[in-house]
Amino acid sequence: MRIDKCYFCSKSVYPGHGTAFVRNDAKVFRFCTSKCHKNFKMKRNPRKVRWTKAFRKAAGKEMTIDSTIEFEKRRNVPVRYDRELVQTTVKAMKRISEIKQRREHAFWKNRMAASREKLKASRRKKLEAKEAKATSIRLVEPMAVESPEREKVREKIKVSAKSRSALIPGEGRSMGMDID
Amino acid sequence: MGRLRRSRTHHAKRDVHRASRTRVRTRDLDQIQSIDLDPKNRAALEAQQLDFDKPGLAQHYCVECAKYFEADAALRAHWRSKVHKRRCKALKEPAYTIEESERAAGLGREGKRPSTTTAIQEDIPS
Repeated sequence: MRIDKCYFCSKSVYPGHGTAFVRNDAKVFRFCTSKCHKNFKMKRNPRKVRWTKAFRKAAGKEMTIDSTIEFEKRRNVPVRYDRELVQTTVKAMKRISEIKQRREHAFWKNRMAASREKLKASRRKKLEAKEAKATSIRLVEPMAVESPEREKVREKIKVSAKSRSALIPGEGRSMGMDID
Repeated sequence: MGRLRRSRTHHAKRDVHRASRTRVRTRDLDQIQSIDLDPKNRAALEAQQLDFDKPGLAQHYCVECAKYFEADAALRAHWRSKVHKRRCKALKEPAYTIEESERAAGLGREGKRPSTTTAIQEDIPS
């Protein structure tokens, strides 16, 4: 029994899951989900689709050269069962995954540090461009004449809440008829 | 060669499932790159026998795009087109393979078996 890798996204395909396509030259393409299969049918290049592992590796977003990656391999020679070997392997797997996680985190931090500088530079450039544009426009724009008379502000007529009393008919500004 | 239009090209033909059936499957980039572009195979593909089932009796074939054309003029027009040039550009870089997908997943290939006998045999004559 073998755990395959998805052709498109490089995820693990466990037995009983996913689909396989066999091309007429007997090459087997395995897919984890229908999403990956459909993308394959559309003839997309996984290296250019951002959510695939292939893209992330090709674009330098993940570690590609590391000793911790070297352990997982397709081995076509079966190994005879050995209790000791299994125990040591399981122990080693845990340790290796620990180390791998740490290294991946370090790699990510390093990458982020570089990208932060880039982001800052681009922001500064954008701001400068904006400012330059603003100054150039100000020269072209005609001077605005300040005129206080033109400003017409609707004044609110205040009606004091006190006068609006139900006990006094006229003062409450009711629509009722005046009684003298 | 003009600009290809981007809008109003669908004509409400949204039957993508029909278009992606296995029987209408065309050759993949890696197949073209490794097999068809080889000069010997290329010559054979370009000079095919009369085939009444293929468009244009299989006489006008574009190897890069794996496509038959009706007439020589159509093929020549295709060579000048953006579609063909884009395809040529895509063929220049190495095609994506199953091995690459495995490598991206962190699954390496074990090299040749540690065959010490062959290594020694190779060393002696050299």
